[in-house]
Amino acid sequence: MNKYLRMIVFVFILGTVSGGLLFGTGALTNSLIEANATALLKSEILTAHGIEFNFTNIHDVFETSTDTITVDGEYDGEDYTYTFYEDKLSGTITFGFGPTFGGGVWGPIIGLLSLESDFSTIIRISVLQQEETPGLGGIVATRAYLDTFEGKTIGLGDDAISIIKDLDVLTAASNEVRSITGATRTSNQFDIILNNAYTAHRLVWEAR
Amino acid sequence: MKKFFARLNYTKSFNVLKKGFWTENQIAIAVLGICSSLAITNKVENAIAMGLGVTFVVIASSALIALIRNFIPSQVRMVTYMVIISTFTIVVQMFLKAYFPALASQLGAYVGLIITNCIVMGRAEAFAVKNPVKYALVDGFASGMGYMVVLIAASTIREVLAFGTFLNFPVMGEGWVPWTIMALAPGGFFVISLFVWFIRDRQQFDESK
Repeated sequence: MNKYLRMIVFVFILGTVSGGLLFGTGALTNSLIEANATALLKSEILTAHGIEFNFTNIHDVFETSTDTITVDGEYDGEDYTYTFYEDKLSGTITFGFGPTFGGGVWGPIIGLLSLESDFSTIIRISVLQQEETPGLGGIVATRAYLDTFEGKTIGLGDDAISIIKDLDVLTAASNEVRSITGATRTSNQFDIILNNAYTAHRLVWEAR
Repeated sequence: MKKFFARLNYTKSFNVLKKGFWTENQIAIAVLGICSSLAITNKVENAIAMGLGVTFVVIASSALIALIRNFIPSQVRMVTYMVIISTFTIVVQMFLKAYFPALASQLGAYVGLIITNCIVMGRAEAFAVKNPVKYALVDGFASGMGYMVVLIAASTIREVLAFGTFLNFPVMGEGWVPWTIMALAPGGFFVISLFVWFIRDRQQFDESK
């Protein structure tokens, strides 16, 4: 009996100490993690909209230059709040994509898609969070790869963006982009995420 | 100087250090931590971050396990290791996200996967649970650094050949044709195997003995 009691006491103490350690680390880092995420989001939106800022004035610049528009809607039968960031001067629109619209190979791919005011021409894509294989699928978050989408167009149906692996099939069409070498599955998933997010946001934007 | 090294050779700390770095190198000799080493050695910065993360987790978990080794009931020994290792891994993950967000996002899932790195569990079971804290600290440091040194060496070869860069700085000139295979899993197997062969050959290590 003593043996079991000792074991239970030990497990309880271990759980309490490790829980306390995690709680303490969370208390120290959570606010920083949140602040990093907010600053990253705003900096990517402002960069996409071509607005200059620095890390001391980023929040003020964002407030004065950008309208944040939220629309309550649905996606795949579930309630979903669509958020659009519209540049007050140029009408450039940015919205997010994430796990709601499809996942990556190892985890969610979360990012931002920025379009001209025509809601079709891609200005910039940013990936803020991903868990793809570093050096392979992880390339999906690199600026060099994401810049290949710049100037391309995205639309509904046949005009959807196409990420193509086969170089013989790839054309100069404005909605075709080359896939990541050695990361076909990530490329395919990224294609699905972008098109699903675009379609859903466009329908909501037009219907609002 | 010779005398100093001769005397050093007889200290337990030095021998533990030497074993972790060289004679019992976790990748080359113990063949542990292979999955993560194959996956992340295509970039040197990934190798450094992963190496430091694993080293911290091995040191911290080994030290704590050594400290409480006389109180751990044998029935829950493995569970205890897992709880301690996962706690320290989450601490590393939170710390990276808070202070090095770019690096954390680049390493993605692999930081969380330190929990499953066999080296951490291996050192806990093979060394920390049988030795006092000071030697567990040395062993954790040596095992982690031994792992990191091989990661950095392998990733240097892979990054240079696969991307023509070293720590993201171009080193191979404009006309360099990347060896894509080096960024892929077969490249990892090839380079890591070369290191396993090299280190075992230098030590004249014989698996059957």
